[in-house]
Amino acid sequence: MTRPFLGFGLGLRTDHYQHVIDNKPQVDWFEIISENYMIPGGKPLANLDKIREDYPMVMHGVSMSIGSTDPLNTAYLQKLKQLIDRIEPHWISDHLCWTTVNHINSHDLLPLPYNEATIDHIADRIKQVQDIIGQQMLIENLSSYVTYNNSEMAEWEFVNEIAKRADCYILLDINNIFVSANNHHFEPQHYVNGIDSDRVMQFHLAGHSYNGEMIIDTHDHDVCDPVWDLYEYALGRFGAVSTMIERDDNIPPFSELHQELAIAEKIANRVLTTEQLEISGNKILVGAA
Amino acid sequence: MPTLQDLQTHFMDYLLDESSVIIDDIESTPMLSAKGRLDIYATAYKLRLKEAITTDYDKLASYLGDDQFDLLMERYIEKYPSHTTNLRYFSINLPELVRDEAPFNQLAELFELACIERAFADSFDAKDLQFATLDDLAALPEKAWGSLQFIFQKSVQILWLQYNSFPVWKALAEENEPPKIEQTASMAWILWRRSDLVSHYRVLSTAEIAILSLAMKGETFAVICEKLLDFFSEEQTPMKAISFLQSWVAEEMLVGFKY
Repeated sequence: MTRPFLGFGLGLRTDHYQHVIDNKPQVDWFEIISENYMIPGGKPLANLDKIREDYPMVMHGVSMSIGSTDPLNTAYLQKLKQLIDRIEPHWISDHLCWTTVNHINSHDLLPLPYNEATIDHIADRIKQVQDIIGQQMLIENLSSYVTYNNSEMAEWEFVNEIAKRADCYILLDINNIFVSANNHHFEPQHYVNGIDSDRVMQFHLAGHSYNGEMIIDTHDHDVCDPVWDLYEYALGRFGAVSTMIERDDNIPPFSELHQELAIAEKIANRVLTTEQLEISGNKILVGAA
Repeated sequence: MPTLQDLQTHFMDYLLDESSVIIDDIESTPMLSAKGRLDIYATAYKLRLKEAITTDYDKLASYLGDDQFDLLMERYIEKYPSHTTNLRYFSINLPELVRDEAPFNQLAELFELACIERAFADSFDAKDLQFATLDDLAALPEKAWGSLQFIFQKSVQILWLQYNSFPVWKALAEENEPPKIEQTASMAWILWRRSDLVSHYRVLSTAEIAILSLAMKGETFAVICEKLLDFFSEEQTPMKAISFLQSWVAEEMLVGFKY
């Protein structure tokens, strides 16, 4: 597969709207949280439209609840489609998780048991979503703090199988691999080696916090050295993958995040060739994987 | 073996009240028990919802103080599990809880402050529509005026307040000491978002709220003029009616006319 490569992006956050609009910083692309803009109107959408004029974007959701046993939320998907039509992102993503059951929303990314029944359930739902939105989507691996007794396979096998059966792509969160590896005692490199390279379309990088011996995926710190090391390892395995840094709390000035993104670019320049890092971001996901 | 639906239902039960059979389906490790692992999610669940409520009602939080506001949030989270995909709308029923439940209903200004904060949030992201202009008004044909109705933009909201809650809200917003709460004559306030994308508010006179209420219900300009006779003489009424109408247009409250 020739993977589109958007370069190095950041999550677009409210605190940085004015800086981005006024200064047009040199960032290859922005990722937006879809739900923040699934509203009727007002300043968030006005700012989004302004920034979209100058930057490529991808959309990242937190509420699709693709793993839920509730019916797919068609009202949500219709609003998502409206935002897709407005923003024309290169792709959209959401998490391989469930958030809602019996119509109660936890507003959290809750883990799934890794077994055949769950794969069947989710692959079918992703296909339905892709039909509704008219394009392939990306599913992201979680950070998790529990595993279920009825899991039958490793997480990376579960992720691969769903991506294959649903014919969708993978957003590989490098920090989440590191966090879950610590919390569930596996080698993060083993996870990276197990993922189907052809399906990987995007990387997330983020910081985390320690809670005793557990690591919590808080997105409120800089990316730490072991995660940078794992990122370098992943680049060696997958080649050029569009990379962005997620920061959702304790948000620093834009310039600090920009400097952190430069570290990602520096690592990629060390691992990959100039040809591999050539931006090819004019491709929008609509075709078959 | 539990079904996926059983697992999810039991997991959610744990988040809601921290007692569920889900513990039996979670792996414990020497590092941390199943309960300890589930508690990470239960703690995060409440923290996330409390953060959303505090974002939407930060002035009420300042006014109540940490302990009372935390009690309010605990009560709300228990009574109103989220049925929305967007956290923005999770706390939308908070004013009703404040109005209905002790000890919060013993201070009437709390309900008013909560309503003001909800009104600002609703105004902030209300639907964008093209505003009617004074040129649009001037271009109305003569025949329109007999049946003329008004279409208000979605952000327009009317708040009836019995206390000096707006000055209190304003002081809290500016991080100043709020004035002492005082009961006032019942006053109507209008809050709406203009083309600068900023929400504006002002108090309405008795005459203006009387006709604005009618106009927002879809009554015609003729009915509005008739109502104004309760406040002004026959000579004054036509000019007053046009003056109110022009101010609604100039202040970007209207998006169009029907006739």
